[in-house]
Amino acid sequence: MASGGGGTESGEPEFQIAPMIDVLLVLLIFFMSITTAEILKVDQNIVLPVSPNAKPRDPEMTKHEIAINVAWDMAMSKAHVKVDDQVYDNLADLVPRFTARRTKDDKVRAVIRADRLLPAIEVQRVLNTVAESGISDISFAASNK
Amino acid sequence: MRKRNRHKQSAEVNLGFQIAPMVDVVFVIMLFFMVLAGAVKVENAHNTKLPGTQEAATATTMPDEIAIRIEDDGQVYLNEDPLDTTDITSDQGKMLPELATNLNQLRQSSEASKAEVLVTIYANEQAKYERVVDVLDALSRAKISNVTFQAVAPE
Repeated sequence: MASGGGGTESGEPEFQIAPMIDVLLVLLIFFMSITTAEILKVDQNIVLPVSPNAKPRDPEMTKHEIAINVAWDMAMSKAHVKVDDQVYDNLADLVPRFTARRTKDDKVRAVIRADRLLPAIEVQRVLNTVAESGISDISFAASNK
Repeated sequence: MRKRNRHKQSAEVNLGFQIAPMVDVVFVIMLFFMVLAGAVKVENAHNTKLPGTQEAATATTMPDEIAIRIEDDGQVYLNEDPLDTTDITSDQGKMLPELATNLNQLRQSSEASKAEVLVTIYANEQAKYERVVDVLDALSRAKISNVTFQAVAPE
């Protein structure tokens, strides 16, 4: 049992390499999982359309991006627009928010994360809102597979 | 005394770092990540710019405009010509090969005449966003990045 206690027979604590590596591997997995998480507040329930030829997102632009999540409620035939975990029933409420963001950041980009079954008119409504707030850089999110 | 000696021997045996189980564990972790990597979904994007009102210092040449219309059933029209099938569930239907080929030819002829290509997508109100992204994907394959988006059909 002396080997498992981490000490010598004299009672001195001893450095054990195996548990140390165990802990380091756990820490490594923890940091790998948190670095792959999106910084943007994305709605995981949205099924994005598949587009194999879409470009990978520029990591440098991540801090300039606003994610606009547009979910489609098939039963109610209604689109739900969500920005930063807040649902907006009236899209006009988003204009002052986007305008304030554009004033602070010239490079701001609107990332439209829309459900694949969403009617195009709903996308157009979101585009109108983005245009009203003066943001011209738009990105349509799509999944690679 | 014998008991103490045996105890001391077992302690000496187990003290060292065992490389074999360590390598076992590392291989299992490596296999886990290799399998996981194949199933990872990456979120990509199609970037575009909305038309602005910035003043230009020099005169701008008007680009060749191409209109792509998307009907509610998924049928795609390139300048009023229907192309590809409406079956958006099949890979062939999603890839829009005829549209991509035509767009590629148009881009090449525009490049030859030193003109830019501007594509406007007119999607019907009830056309699926998925079909719009299929068209954007075909445009990416044809290396056309000058794209505008409109949700109502042209008059």
